[in-house]
Amino acid sequence: MTPWLVVLAVGAGSYLFRISMLVVAARRGVPPLAARIARHAVPVSFAVIATGGLVGQLGATAADLAPLGAAVLAVAAVRRTGSPNAALVVGMPALWALTAVLP
Amino acid sequence: MPVVHLTDDVGGHVAAGVRAMGPWLLGVAPFGMVIGISAAQADLPTLAGWLTGPLVFAGSAQVATIQLLDEGASPVVVVVAALAINLRLVLYSATMAPHWHGASRRFQALAGYLLIDPTLAVGVDGYEGATRPTHGHARYLGAGAALWVTWLAAIAVGATAGASLPAGRHLEMVIPLFLIGELVPRLDDRTVRRAAAAAAALALASQGFPLHLGALVAIVGGLAVALANEPSQEVSP
Repeated sequence: MTPWLVVLAVGAGSYLFRISMLVVAARRGVPPLAARIARHAVPVSFAVIATGGLVGQLGATAADLAPLGAAVLAVAAVRRTGSPNAALVVGMPALWALTAVLP
Repeated sequence: MPVVHLTDDVGGHVAAGVRAMGPWLLGVAPFGMVIGISAAQADLPTLAGWLTGPLVFAGSAQVATIQLLDEGASPVVVVVAALAINLRLVLYSATMAPHWHGASRRFQALAGYLLIDPTLAVGVDGYEGATRPTHGHARYLGAGAALWVTWLAAIAVGATAGASLPAGRHLEMVIPLFLIGELVPRLDDRTVRRAAAAAAALALASQGFPLHLGALVAIVGGLAVALANEPSQEVSP
């Protein structure tokens, strides 16, 4: 399956979700398990994808640890400010600085 | 089937929807640009990344799709992960169903396509204040159109900028950092914290799985931990 078909499949599935309850909810309501999964799916998926993306960039040299350092600083920045945007605002410059400094 | 008459000042309600969407646009435009930059930097056709905008029209699922395709994940893994993120749209659909009941099929088809977090918020607010359903419909479509145009334009701007940026900027870290920013504030909830920790640990442990099937295992495992750790519902007398 090419990236084009994957994007098409995700788009089609998302559209079905959007119109699903126009047909079903009037008669049966939202299935309870679907409602419970929907509450948790976003943070769980984000944790998995962020972990995979981060680990994929780590290597054996000290400089290869720069993404990990940037991620740690990004977490601290979001914790301190409460703003999700702080992760990028602090994380990317930190990554550039660490990459330049580490051997 | 409700009919929208010109005497209903449809334009005024559409404009009200556009205005109501204004504050949301300030927040989603940078997000759209991040997605565009990521699409340009990822190992997939930039147009395919941009097409996630009009076809998926849901930022988080677009991020997951682009990131996992870039990592070479199995198509099944990409589709399941993105649709898991978008499962909340079923709840949004249930929320809007009473307001759209009886509207034309054409309106329902278009309104459903535009359904996402900002249009849900603006739409529900509009229907609650509307004296006629058609006024709420017009307001919803105005808000949705403003969001749609801004979103696609922001992704295009990001994709154009991302393609022209020099190598060595480590832009592949944009998505992981973005996800960290979205995840960390949610960790105040104990259930989310445990589920995210379990999912991340499973993602680490399953790095060697073929076709990135480990991502699927980690998502399912994280969801199982979340469901097992939900606070019990107290029954009121």
